[in-house]
Amino acid sequence: MSIINYASREIQFKIVYYGPALCGKTTNLAYVHQRISPTNRGDLVSLATAADRTLFFDFLPLNAVVIKGFVTKFQLYTVPGQVIYNATRQLVLRSVDGLVFVADSQWEKMEENVESFKNLADNLARQNVAIDDLPCVLQYNKRDLPNVAPLNYMEFVLNNRKKRLQSFEASSSTGENVFATLNAVSQILLHKFSKQNDVPQTIAPTAAVPGNPTLAKSETTPA
Amino acid sequence: MNSIPVLTIEDVATLDGVLADFLKKAEADLTVVIDRGGNVISQFGDMNAMDVTIIAALAAGSFAATQELARRIGELEFNALYHQGNGSHIFMNSVDEDTIMITVFGRRTTVGLVRFYSAATAKIVSGLLKALQRNSHELSFEAADASTRQIFADE
Repeated sequence: MSIINYASREIQFKIVYYGPALCGKTTNLAYVHQRISPTNRGDLVSLATAADRTLFFDFLPLNAVVIKGFVTKFQLYTVPGQVIYNATRQLVLRSVDGLVFVADSQWEKMEENVESFKNLADNLARQNVAIDDLPCVLQYNKRDLPNVAPLNYMEFVLNNRKKRLQSFEASSSTGENVFATLNAVSQILLHKFSKQNDVPQTIAPTAAVPGNPTLAKSETTPA
Repeated sequence: MNSIPVLTIEDVATLDGVLADFLKKAEADLTVVIDRGGNVISQFGDMNAMDVTIIAALAAGSFAATQELARRIGELEFNALYHQGNGSHIFMNSVDEDTIMITVFGRRTTVGLVRFYSAATAKIVSGLLKALQRNSHELSFEAADASTRQIFADE
Protein backbone atom coordinates (compact mmCIF):
# COMPACT_ATOMS: atom_id res chain seq x y z
CA MET A 1 0.00 0.00 0.00
CA SER A 2 1.39 3.35 -0.98
CA ILE A 3 1.39 5.99 1.71
CA ILE A 4 2.15 9.73 1.85
CA ASN A 5 3.85 11.15 4.91
CA TYR A 6 3.38 14.91 4.97
CA ALA A 7 5.73 15.40 7.90
CA SER A 8 8.73 13.84 6.17
CA ARG A 9 7.29 14.68 2.73
CA GLU A 10 7.75 11.14 1.50
CA ILE A 11 5.69 8.83 -0.69
CA GLN A 12 6.31 5.07 -0.65
CA PHE A 13 5.56 2.62 -3.45
CA LYS A 14 6.18 -1.12 -3.53
CA ILE A 15 7.11 -2.76 -6.84
CA VAL A 16 7.43 -6.55 -7.07
CA TYR A 17 9.37 -8.47 -9.74
CA TYR A 18 7.52 -11.76 -10.34
CA GLY A 19 8.27 -14.68 -12.63
CA PRO A 20 9.39 -18.32 -12.86
CA ALA A 21 12.55 -19.68 -11.27
CA LEU A 22 15.85 -18.52 -12.79
CA CYS A 23 14.18 -16.02 -15.14
CA GLY A 24 16.41 -13.14 -14.01
CA LYS A 25 14.43 -11.23 -11.35
CA THR A 26 17.38 -10.96 -8.98
CA THR A 27 19.68 -10.06 -11.89
CA ASN A 28 17.35 -7.14 -12.70
CA LEU A 29 17.71 -5.77 -9.16
CA ALA A 30 21.44 -6.44 -9.07
CA TYR A 31 21.90 -4.48 -12.31
CA VAL A 32 19.85 -1.55 -11.02
CA HIS A 33 21.80 -1.59 -7.77
CA GLN A 34 25.09 -1.66 -9.63
CA ARG A 35 24.29 1.14 -12.07
CA ILE A 36 22.17 3.62 -10.18
CA SER A 37 23.82 6.46 -8.29
CA PRO A 38 24.55 5.36 -4.68
CA THR A 39 22.92 8.56 -3.43
CA ASN A 40 19.59 7.33 -4.82
CA ARG A 41 19.63 3.80 -3.46
CA GLY A 42 20.06 1.75 -0.31
CA ASP A 43 21.71 -1.63 0.04
CA LEU A 44 20.53 -4.61 -2.00
CA VAL A 45 19.33 -7.16 0.55
CA SER A 46 19.24 -10.70 -0.75
CA LEU A 47 17.86 -13.57 1.27
CA ALA A 48 19.26 -16.40 -0.81
CA THR A 49 20.49 -19.97 -0.38
CA ALA A 50 24.17 -20.88 -0.60
CA ALA A 51 23.58 -21.57 -4.30
CA ASP A 52 22.27 -18.00 -4.83
CA ARG A 53 18.67 -19.10 -5.29
CA THR A 54 16.24 -16.62 -3.76
CA LEU A 55 14.86 -18.13 -0.58
CA PHE A 56 12.65 -15.35 0.71
CA PHE A 57 13.03 -12.15 -1.32
CA ASP A 58 15.48 -9.58 -2.60
CA PHE A 59 14.91 -5.99 -1.61
CA LEU A 60 16.28 -2.75 -3.03
CA PRO A 61 15.09 0.68 -1.83
CA LEU A 62 15.37 3.54 -4.35
CA ASN A 63 14.77 7.27 -3.90
CA ALA A 64 13.74 9.78 -6.54
CA VAL A 65 12.24 13.25 -6.63
CA VAL A 66 9.52 12.79 -9.20
CA ILE A 67 6.63 14.59 -7.55
CA LYS A 68 7.17 18.24 -6.73
CA GLY A 69 7.94 18.67 -3.05
CA PHE A 70 8.12 14.97 -2.17
CA VAL A 71 10.83 12.34 -2.02
CA THR A 72 9.39 9.25 -3.66
CA LYS A 73 10.63 5.94 -2.27
CA PHE A 74 10.33 2.97 -4.59
CA GLN A 75 10.83 -0.34 -2.81
CA LEU A 76 11.77 -3.09 -5.24
CA TYR A 77 11.16 -6.71 -4.22
CA THR A 78 11.62 -10.01 -6.00
CA VAL A 79 9.78 -13.21 -5.15
CA PRO A 80 11.31 -16.69 -5.05
CA GLY A 81 10.43 -18.29 -8.37
CA GLN A 82 10.54 -21.93 -7.34
CA VAL A 83 7.09 -23.51 -7.31
CA ILE A 84 7.31 -24.72 -3.70
CA TYR A 85 7.67 -21.19 -2.30
CA ASN A 86 4.15 -20.02 -3.08
CA ALA A 87 3.39 -19.01 0.51
CA THR A 88 6.41 -16.70 0.40
CA ARG A 89 5.25 -15.18 -2.89
CA GLN A 90 1.88 -14.41 -1.30
CA LEU A 91 3.63 -12.64 1.58
CA VAL A 92 5.82 -10.53 -0.70
CA LEU A 93 2.82 -9.56 -2.83
CA ARG A 94 1.08 -8.08 0.19
CA SER A 95 0.36 -4.34 -0.32
CA VAL A 96 1.96 -4.35 -3.78
CA ASP A 97 1.57 -1.16 -5.85
CA GLY A 98 3.24 -2.18 -9.12
CA LEU A 99 4.39 -5.35 -10.86
CA VAL A 100 7.06 -6.42 -13.33
CA PHE A 101 6.47 -9.90 -14.70
CA VAL A 102 9.81 -11.27 -15.88
CA ALA A 103 9.43 -14.07 -18.43
CA ASP A 104 12.24 -16.35 -19.58
CA SER A 105 12.29 -16.18 -23.39
CA GLN A 106 13.82 -19.61 -23.91
CA TRP A 107 11.51 -22.08 -25.64
CA GLU A 108 11.78 -24.70 -22.93
CA LYS A 109 10.67 -22.20 -20.27
CA MET A 110 7.38 -21.25 -21.87
CA GLU A 111 5.26 -23.61 -19.80
CA GLU A 112 6.88 -22.29 -16.60
CA ASN A 113 6.17 -18.71 -17.74
CA VAL A 114 2.50 -19.48 -18.24
CA GLU A 115 2.27 -21.33 -14.92
CA SER A 116 3.96 -18.46 -13.09
CA PHE A 117 1.67 -15.85 -14.66
CA LYS A 118 -1.36 -17.90 -13.69
CA ASN A 119 0.08 -18.25 -10.18
CA LEU A 120 0.49 -14.46 -10.03
CA ALA A 121 -3.16 -13.94 -10.99
CA ASP A 122 -4.27 -16.52 -8.40
CA ASN A 123 -2.19 -14.95 -5.64
CA LEU A 124 -3.47 -11.47 -6.44
CA ALA A 125 -7.03 -12.79 -6.46
CA ARG A 126 -6.48 -13.96 -2.87
CA GLN A 127 -5.95 -10.27 -2.05
CA ASN A 128 -9.01 -9.36 -4.15
CA VAL A 129 -6.81 -7.65 -6.73
CA ALA A 130 -6.90 -8.20 -10.50
CA ILE A 131 -3.80 -7.79 -12.67
CA ASP A 132 -5.68 -5.23 -14.76
CA ASP A 133 -6.11 -3.06 -11.66
CA LEU A 134 -2.37 -2.88 -10.95
CA PRO A 135 0.34 -1.04 -12.86
CA CYS A 136 2.10 -3.95 -14.54
CA VAL A 137 4.63 -4.43 -17.33
CA LEU A 138 6.02 -7.55 -18.97
CA GLN A 139 9.72 -8.13 -19.49
CA TYR A 140 10.76 -10.81 -21.98
CA ASN A 141 14.18 -11.56 -20.58
CA LYS A 142 17.25 -13.42 -21.88
CA ARG A 143 16.76 -12.17 -25.45
CA ASP A 144 20.53 -12.47 -25.92
CA LEU A 145 20.36 -16.26 -25.77
CA PRO A 146 20.19 -18.29 -29.02
CA ASN A 147 17.17 -20.49 -28.29
CA VAL A 148 14.53 -17.86 -27.61
CA ALA A 149 10.93 -17.85 -28.80
CA PRO A 150 9.96 -15.09 -31.27
CA LEU A 151 8.46 -11.95 -29.84
CA ASN A 152 5.08 -12.56 -31.47
CA TYR A 153 4.88 -15.92 -29.78
CA MET A 154 5.77 -14.46 -26.36
CA GLU A 155 3.08 -11.83 -26.84
CA PHE A 156 0.53 -14.46 -27.87
CA VAL A 157 1.32 -16.66 -24.89
CA LEU A 158 1.60 -14.02 -22.15
CA ASN A 159 -0.07 -10.84 -23.38
CA ASN A 160 -3.10 -12.06 -25.26
CA ARG A 161 -5.78 -10.22 -23.36
CA LYS A 162 -8.24 -7.40 -23.76
CA LYS A 163 -6.11 -4.91 -21.85
CA ARG A 164 -2.62 -5.60 -23.08
CA LEU A 165 0.38 -4.78 -20.98
CA GLN A 166 3.41 -2.82 -22.06
CA SER A 167 6.22 -5.27 -22.84
CA PHE A 168 9.99 -5.07 -23.14
CA GLU A 169 12.58 -7.30 -24.72
CA ALA A 170 15.44 -7.39 -22.27
CA SER A 171 18.66 -9.01 -21.25
CA SER A 172 19.11 -8.48 -17.54
CA SER A 173 22.65 -9.90 -17.56
CA THR A 174 23.82 -7.16 -19.96
CA GLY A 175 21.37 -4.59 -18.61
CA GLU A 176 19.51 -4.10 -21.88
CA ASN A 177 16.10 -2.53 -21.14
CA VAL A 178 16.39 -3.20 -17.40
CA PHE A 179 16.02 0.51 -16.64
CA ALA A 180 13.41 0.93 -19.38
CA THR A 181 11.27 -1.71 -17.66
CA LEU A 182 11.69 -0.09 -14.23
CA ASN A 183 10.98 3.39 -15.58
CA ALA A 184 7.87 2.17 -17.37
CA VAL A 185 6.27 0.56 -14.33
CA SER A 186 7.22 3.58 -12.18
CA GLN A 187 5.65 6.01 -14.65
CA ILE A 188 2.45 3.95 -14.93
CA LEU A 189 2.33 3.84 -11.13
CA LEU A 190 2.72 7.62 -10.81
CA HIS A 191 0.15 8.09 -13.53
CA LYS A 192 -2.37 5.96 -11.62
CA PHE A 193 -2.30 8.41 -8.72
CA SER A 194 -2.22 11.62 -10.74
CA LYS A 195 -5.38 13.60 -11.35
CA GLN A 196 -5.31 13.11 -15.10
CA ASN A 197 -5.03 9.37 -15.41
CA ASP A 198 -7.35 8.74 -18.32
CA VAL A 199 -4.51 7.47 -20.52
CA PRO A 200 -4.73 3.69 -20.88
CA GLN A 201 -2.03 1.60 -19.26
CA THR A 202 -0.87 0.15 -22.57
CA ILE A 203 0.40 3.50 -23.84
CA ALA A 204 4.10 3.86 -23.14
CA PRO A 205 5.16 6.92 -21.15
CA THR A 206 7.52 8.97 -23.32
CA ALA A 207 10.42 8.79 -20.91
CA ALA A 208 10.34 5.04 -20.69
CA VAL A 209 10.46 4.07 -24.36
CA PRO A 210 13.65 2.07 -24.79
CA GLY A 211 15.98 2.43 -27.72
CA ASN A 212 15.28 -1.06 -29.00
CA PRO A 213 13.20 -0.67 -32.18
CA THR A 214 11.56 -4.06 -31.73
CA LEU A 215 9.65 -2.71 -28.75
CA ALA A 216 7.33 -0.71 -30.96
CA LYS A 217 6.59 -3.91 -32.81
CA SER A 218 5.80 -5.73 -29.57
CA GLU A 219 3.19 -3.15 -28.68
CA THR A 220 1.41 -3.14 -32.02
CA THR A 221 1.62 -6.72 -33.20
CA PRO A 222 -1.83 -8.32 -33.18
CA ALA A 223 -2.03 -11.26 -30.83
CA MET B 1 -8.78 8.30 -10.31
CA ASN B 2 -6.91 6.59 -7.50
CA SER B 3 -5.68 8.31 -4.37
CA ILE B 4 -3.05 7.59 -1.75
CA PRO B 5 -3.68 7.50 2.02
CA VAL B 6 -2.12 10.52 3.69
CA LEU B 7 -0.52 10.95 7.09
CA THR B 8 -0.87 14.66 7.85
CA ILE B 9 1.69 16.59 9.89
CA GLU B 10 -0.74 16.45 12.83
CA ASP B 11 -1.17 12.67 12.47
CA VAL B 12 2.59 12.15 12.45
CA ALA B 13 3.04 14.49 15.45
CA THR B 14 0.45 12.53 17.44
CA LEU B 15 2.06 9.19 16.59
CA ASP B 16 5.52 10.58 17.32
CA GLY B 17 4.34 11.74 20.73
CA VAL B 18 3.14 8.26 21.64
CA LEU B 19 6.34 6.63 20.34
CA ALA B 20 8.57 9.16 22.10
CA ASP B 21 6.82 8.45 25.38
CA PHE B 22 7.29 4.72 24.81
CA LEU B 23 11.01 5.06 24.03
CA LYS B 24 11.55 7.15 27.14
CA LYS B 25 9.77 4.70 29.42
CA ALA B 26 11.25 1.56 27.86
CA GLU B 27 14.70 3.14 27.44
CA ALA B 28 14.89 1.74 23.92
CA ASP B 29 16.81 3.26 20.98
CA LEU B 30 14.39 3.19 18.07
CA THR B 31 10.82 2.23 17.34
CA VAL B 32 9.18 1.90 13.93
CA VAL B 33 5.52 1.30 13.09
CA ILE B 34 5.12 -0.50 9.76
CA ASP B 35 2.34 -2.08 7.75
CA ARG B 36 2.60 -5.79 7.08
CA GLY B 37 3.70 -5.10 3.52
CA GLY B 38 6.89 -3.53 4.90
CA ASN B 39 5.99 0.16 4.46
CA VAL B 40 7.08 2.54 7.22
CA ILE B 41 4.15 4.38 8.81
CA SER B 42 5.98 6.17 11.59
CA GLN B 43 9.39 6.04 13.24
CA PHE B 44 11.04 7.62 16.24
CA GLY B 45 14.46 7.45 17.85
CA ASP B 46 18.06 7.11 16.78
CA MET B 47 18.01 6.35 13.06
CA ASN B 48 21.62 7.22 12.29
CA ALA B 49 23.05 3.76 12.66
CA MET B 50 20.58 1.84 10.51
CA ASP B 51 18.51 1.92 7.34
CA VAL B 52 14.94 1.91 8.64
CA THR B 53 13.50 1.02 5.22
CA ILE B 54 15.49 -2.21 5.10
CA ILE B 55 14.71 -3.06 8.73
CA ALA B 56 10.99 -2.56 7.96
CA ALA B 57 11.08 -4.85 4.91
CA LEU B 58 12.95 -7.59 6.74
CA ALA B 59 10.85 -7.31 9.90
CA ALA B 60 7.61 -7.60 7.92
CA GLY B 61 9.04 -10.69 6.22
CA SER B 62 10.22 -12.18 9.49
CA PHE B 63 6.87 -11.60 11.17
CA ALA B 64 4.97 -13.11 8.27
CA ALA B 65 7.30 -16.09 7.99
CA THR B 66 6.65 -17.17 11.55
CA GLN B 67 2.88 -17.09 11.04
CA GLU B 68 2.89 -20.56 9.53
CA LEU B 69 5.05 -21.80 12.42
CA ALA B 70 2.43 -20.44 14.82
CA ARG B 71 -0.35 -22.21 12.95
CA ARG B 72 1.45 -25.53 13.38
CA ILE B 73 0.99 -25.24 17.13
CA GLY B 74 -2.59 -24.06 16.88
CA GLU B 75 -1.99 -20.30 17.09
CA LEU B 76 -3.26 -17.74 14.59
CA GLU B 77 0.09 -15.95 14.77
CA PHE B 78 2.77 -15.09 17.29
CA ASN B 79 1.87 -11.73 18.81
CA ALA B 80 5.47 -10.88 19.51
CA LEU B 81 8.94 -11.87 18.31
CA TYR B 82 12.27 -11.26 19.99
CA HIS B 83 15.66 -11.41 18.28
CA GLN B 84 18.49 -11.40 20.78
CA GLY B 85 21.92 -10.12 19.81
CA ASN B 86 25.08 -9.57 21.82
CA GLY B 87 24.54 -5.86 22.36
CA SER B 88 21.52 -4.90 20.27
CA HIS B 89 18.19 -6.64 20.16
CA ILE B 90 14.93 -6.36 18.22
CA PHE B 91 11.46 -6.82 19.65
CA MET B 92 8.47 -6.91 17.33
CA ASN B 93 4.84 -7.00 18.33
CA SER B 94 1.56 -7.00 16.49
CA VAL B 95 -0.41 -3.75 16.65
CA ASP B 96 -3.44 -4.90 14.67
CA GLU B 97 -4.16 -7.10 11.65
CA ASP B 98 -2.40 -4.64 9.31
CA THR B 99 0.34 -3.17 11.46
CA ILE B 100 3.48 -4.20 13.36
CA MET B 101 5.65 -2.27 15.80
CA ILE B 102 9.43 -2.82 15.85
CA THR B 103 11.65 -1.77 18.73
CA VAL B 104 15.45 -1.77 18.66
CA PHE B 105 17.13 -1.63 22.05
CA GLY B 106 20.50 -2.19 23.71
CA ARG B 107 22.13 -2.71 27.08
CA ARG B 108 20.37 0.18 28.82
CA THR B 109 17.12 -1.80 29.19
CA THR B 110 15.67 -5.30 29.28
CA VAL B 111 13.35 -7.24 27.01
CA GLY B 112 10.82 -7.41 29.85
CA LEU B 113 10.58 -3.65 30.11
CA VAL B 114 10.32 -3.25 26.34
CA ARG B 115 7.66 -5.96 26.16
CA PHE B 116 5.66 -4.39 29.00
CA TYR B 117 5.55 -0.88 27.57
CA SER B 118 5.23 -1.95 23.92
CA ALA B 119 2.00 -3.86 24.66
CA ALA B 120 0.39 -0.71 26.06
CA THR B 121 1.82 1.45 23.25
CA ALA B 122 0.54 -0.96 20.60
CA LYS B 123 -2.99 -0.52 21.95
CA ILE B 124 -2.72 3.27 21.76
CA VAL B 125 -1.19 3.16 18.26
CA SER B 126 -3.93 0.78 17.11
CA GLY B 127 -6.58 3.20 18.36
CA LEU B 128 -4.88 6.13 16.65
CA LEU B 129 -4.61 4.28 13.35
CA LYS B 130 -8.26 3.27 13.50
CA ALA B 131 -9.19 6.91 14.08
CA LEU B 132 -7.01 7.92 11.13
CA GLN B 133 -8.79 5.41 8.93
CA ARG B 134 -12.18 6.79 9.98
CA ASN B 135 -11.13 10.36 9.19
CA SER B 136 -8.84 9.35 6.37
CA HIS B 137 -7.26 11.92 4.13
CA GLU B 138 -6.37 10.85 0.64
CA LEU B 139 -4.46 12.65 -2.03
CA SER B 140 -3.99 12.55 -5.76
CA PHE B 141 -1.25 14.79 -7.01
CA GLU B 142 -1.50 17.07 -10.02
CA ALA B 143 -0.19 15.48 -13.20
CA ALA B 144 1.87 18.63 -13.79
CA ASP B 145 3.70 18.00 -10.51
CA ALA B 146 4.90 14.57 -11.61
CA SER B 147 8.14 14.49 -13.53
CA THR B 148 7.95 13.24 -17.13
CA ARG B 149 11.67 12.74 -17.38
CA GLN B 150 13.27 9.34 -17.01
CA ILE B 151 12.93 8.51 -13.31
CA PHE B 152 15.94 6.23 -12.91
CA ALA B 153 19.06 6.64 -15.01
CA ASP B 154 21.56 3.95 -15.97
CA GLU B 155 24.82 5.56 -14.90
